Amino acid sequence: MTLPDIYISNIGYALGNIRQTLEFSHVNGLTYSSTELLTDSGFHFHHMCNAAQSTYDLARAAVDNLLTSGGTGCESIHGILYATCLTCNGNLGAWQDFKQSGDVKHLMDFPASHLQADFGLENAFLMGINQTACTSLLSTLRTAKALLSSESHLEQLLCLTADRFPPGAKYEQTYNLISDGAAACVVSRHGGRVKILDAHHISNGVMAQASDDETAGFYFNYSYRVIDELLKRNQLSINDIDWIVPQNTNIKAWEVLSSILRFDYQKVLTPTREDIGHCISGDNIINLKHADDNGTFQPGDKILLPMAGFGLNWSCVLLEKV
Amino acid sequence: MSESVLITGADGYFGKLLTEKYLSHTDNRMLLWVRAQDRTEYDSKCEQLRKTYAVHKNRIHFHGGDLQSLEPFSTINPSEVKAIVHTAAITRFNVEESLANEVNREGTRKTAMFAHRCRGLEQFAFISTIYSSGLAPGCVSETAVSPTGPFANHYERSKSEAEHLIQTQFPDLPWSIYRAATIIADDDSGKVVQYNVFHNTMRLFFHGLISLLPGYHTTPIYLTTGRSTIDSIFEILSAQQTQQSIYNLCYGRDTAMTLGELIDRVFNNFARDPDFHKKRILKPLFTDLDAFESLASVLKGLSGAVVKQALESIRPFAQQLFIEKDVANQQLLCATPGYPIPDMPVLIDNVIQHLMQTKWGRETMPGNQRQ
Repeated sequence: MTLPDIYISNIGYALGNIRQTLEFSHVNGLTYSSTELLTDSGFHFHHMCNAAQSTYDLARAAVDNLLTSGGTGCESIHGILYATCLTCNGNLGAWQDFKQSGDVKHLMDFPASHLQADFGLENAFLMGINQTACTSLLSTLRTAKALLSSESHLEQLLCLTADRFPPGAKYEQTYNLISDGAAACVVSRHGGRVKILDAHHISNGVMAQASDDETAGFYFNYSYRVIDELLKRNQLSINDIDWIVPQNTNIKAWEVLSSILRFDYQKVLTPTREDIGHCISGDNIINLKHADDNGTFQPGDKILLPMAGFGLNWSCVLLEKV
Repeated sequence: MSESVLITGADGYFGKLLTEKYLSHTDNRMLLWVRAQDRTEYDSKCEQLRKTYAVHKNRIHFHGGDLQSLEPFSTINPSEVKAIVHTAAITRFNVEESLANEVNREGTRKTAMFAHRCRGLEQFAFISTIYSSGLAPGCVSETAVSPTGPFANHYERSKSEAEHLIQTQFPDLPWSIYRAATIIADDDSGKVVQYNVFHNTMRLFFHGLISLLPGYHTTPIYLTTGRSTIDSIFEILSAQQTQQSIYNLCYGRDTAMTLGELIDRVFNNFARDPDFHKKRILKPLFTDLDAFESLASVLKGLSGAVVKQALESIRPFAQQLFIEKDVANQQLLCATPGYPIPDMPVLIDNVIQHLMQTKWGRETMPGNQRQ
């Protein structure tokens, strides 16, 4: 049986409504590392939600941004795959309401439900993915491709991730400057910007509570491994890859990784790193949108979207520009 | 007056092992010169050594000072010295340039000048390193090396310059030069007393704190034990046939493990630890020097103390992991026909097991606890 081609069509994203300089955030105690270190790492600004902006507001704005770009009929969206990095962002209910009432329905006020209702996605089923941290959105892409390949009645699935850090959180994780934000894309069997060729994921649960140093220590050879295994599975070598669109992380990290992969560092694209920083699980898709909108890719170009996250998890999606 | 052997750096790793050897195999008086910046440090070190060598207390005499001072051996009567073994040195690869110059090169010059005043001197032994040949690839013969480099670090350079000055500026001295390989254990049992870049690197790998290693799979790595090194030096010195010779205290290329083989062996041992196994820590990826430098610069800024310290000790040696050296040892084998060819895989196994069981020296070996 020949599997259908599956594509990413529309992409939208939204960021926290306060754009802040790294210096300001450091002075206000929102980072662990010095301004100098994070600047050297390639970060300058990040985006945080103000008190009135919720995670769900981010998700709505991202989907709104996606839908207003046109070409996506709500009636043909047959599923919402809603990802969060932080599990607390997967429930809109208030803990205080549960404490007062003892009713766990306050712990099951799912944003995917609200999203379906607010956008009238009546034909969509709902699914949540929230235990693979920064790799969550890539997990939804993998799942969406599998679902669309195996269930012929499904036409398009809405994949999104939305996270804001809770009040009091530091906006730095494993030496990366963080932005609150959401990213959404439509995965479709009807064509789009890029074709999803394959996706691969490695999890190492023993390292669930890895220290920052362990996370950094595991980063390189597991990132290499997830890419290497994905390429081998598709009978490809790194020479077949035209672009890598990774997460927004320390600028040196990809200098090192591209050297190990024997990949031209000039073709590693993180166009939003300085302005956005690490937008948790949305970086790849946000960077992909910017690069594609700028006309970077040519039809037939093969693109890798690698991501590492807590858990520990490593994920990589292989795309081809249409 | 009985004949005396002066050991410089007597409180150091080689100094202690050599002193023990002399005390147990000869009846020489031992002049133990220790590095001390002040009286308190000197008294403390002497006290420690006095306890260690208590049964030989009548044969040991202490002196001390600093090789950076004008006359570090001013308290020693040159007429009583029959042999000098100059082990004092700063051996860390990240030694600063000026310190390496002052201690390793100029300190050796001062020791040689003192040796020149010892009228009855029969032997002047200088402990060097097989890396005094710097980054030159190919055969490391038991002859003079160029002191002009290039070198991976100031330790190598200063040792090379010290070798050169002994040979060219003190031609009348009964010198002999002993180039040691990288010491990874006291003896074949794998016991480790002196921790260095090898052990620090293994610790990072074991804890999954670094996943890259500069170098080529195929680079031969010359590792040995302190016991083997000291036995060879002592045997050659005892034979009294040492004058103006250079010895590479090392086995040949065919016995050396390659870097790839070493990592495989190390990780096979690590895998026997249940926690390590559970963490699914991968073998490091071999990387080029630029990528490793980038990594080191990232981690230097960001990571914790253990990673920083270990990286700082690896960085100055990293270039050597790309250089294929073939160590010649014909003179060593002539002088010590029984030179033991080590079983490298077994030695690596023993060392790694020791490191894991003692948690890199933080705990005693099982069975070694005091009752």
